[in-house]
Amino acid sequence: MAGEAASILELREYLRNRLMTEVPHATLNGSLERRVPGILNISFAYVEGESLLMGLKEVAISSGSACTSASLEPSYVLKAMGLNDELAHSSLRISIGRFTTREELDYIAMLIEREVARLREMSPLWEMVQDGIDLSTIEWTPH
Amino acid sequence: MAYSTKVIDHYEHPRNVGILDKTDESVGTGIVGAPACGDVMKLQIKVENGVITDAKFKTYGCGSAIASSSLVTEWVKGMSVDKAMEIKNSQIAEELSLPPVKIHCSVLAEDAIKAAIRDYQQKHAVAATADAAE
Repeated sequence: MAGEAASILELREYLRNRLMTEVPHATLNGSLERRVPGILNISFAYVEGESLLMGLKEVAISSGSACTSASLEPSYVLKAMGLNDELAHSSLRISIGRFTTREELDYIAMLIEREVARLREMSPLWEMVQDGIDLSTIEWTPH
Repeated sequence: MAYSTKVIDHYEHPRNVGILDKTDESVGTGIVGAPACGDVMKLQIKVENGVITDAKFKTYGCGSAIASSSLVTEWVKGMSVDKAMEIKNSQIAEELSLPPVKIHCSVLAEDAIKAAIRDYQQKHAVAATADAAE
């Protein structure tokens, strides 16, 4: 049991390191030490979680946003952990288990990097940030 | 979540992603939504002789939001400004077969085109006032 937890943890750390070093503006959600070994929850700023999921259709993965429910509210769990609404909407939740292989993680890392880059090119938030605008100063007009 | 084939198509092959020069006087820019809501759309139109000759968008949001704004840029090219102002979210929702939980994406896209048109009209109202004042 302890052996399996250790190998899952190693895989998770491998993926976490790849994503955090290779994708800019990626933040880990939750404590690194106090977490179940096989769960990774990362926010990719300026990209909405559900749209990222659509680009990862080969992967069984979920987003941290509750957008698919009748509510438009972001995940109350992530909010309780201190995330602002935007980062909660931009999060991805990955589960690693007994049968996950390093090759699969390499594939997932490649897909995530590719799709985050593609969606950032389509994102008005990313564009504003590239132009040096501080998003917290903008007065938004929600419907 | 079952997406319609049209939503998937717009997501995988979005039309008119890009930027127009917002300082250009023939360009109207609308930015609607909020990051806290998980939906922000930026829609821009280029107007010449009362007709929209080009349109670009950028969207932060789910696949239905991306598809709604992409569709609007496709529709408005070649439309008169007056006709584009009449676009209703129900038309967008119908075209994309949006489920009830995603109707708000079409509403935001309607807001976006209207905001872009209003921005263009305001630019020209200001110019007209300045001319009159001279």
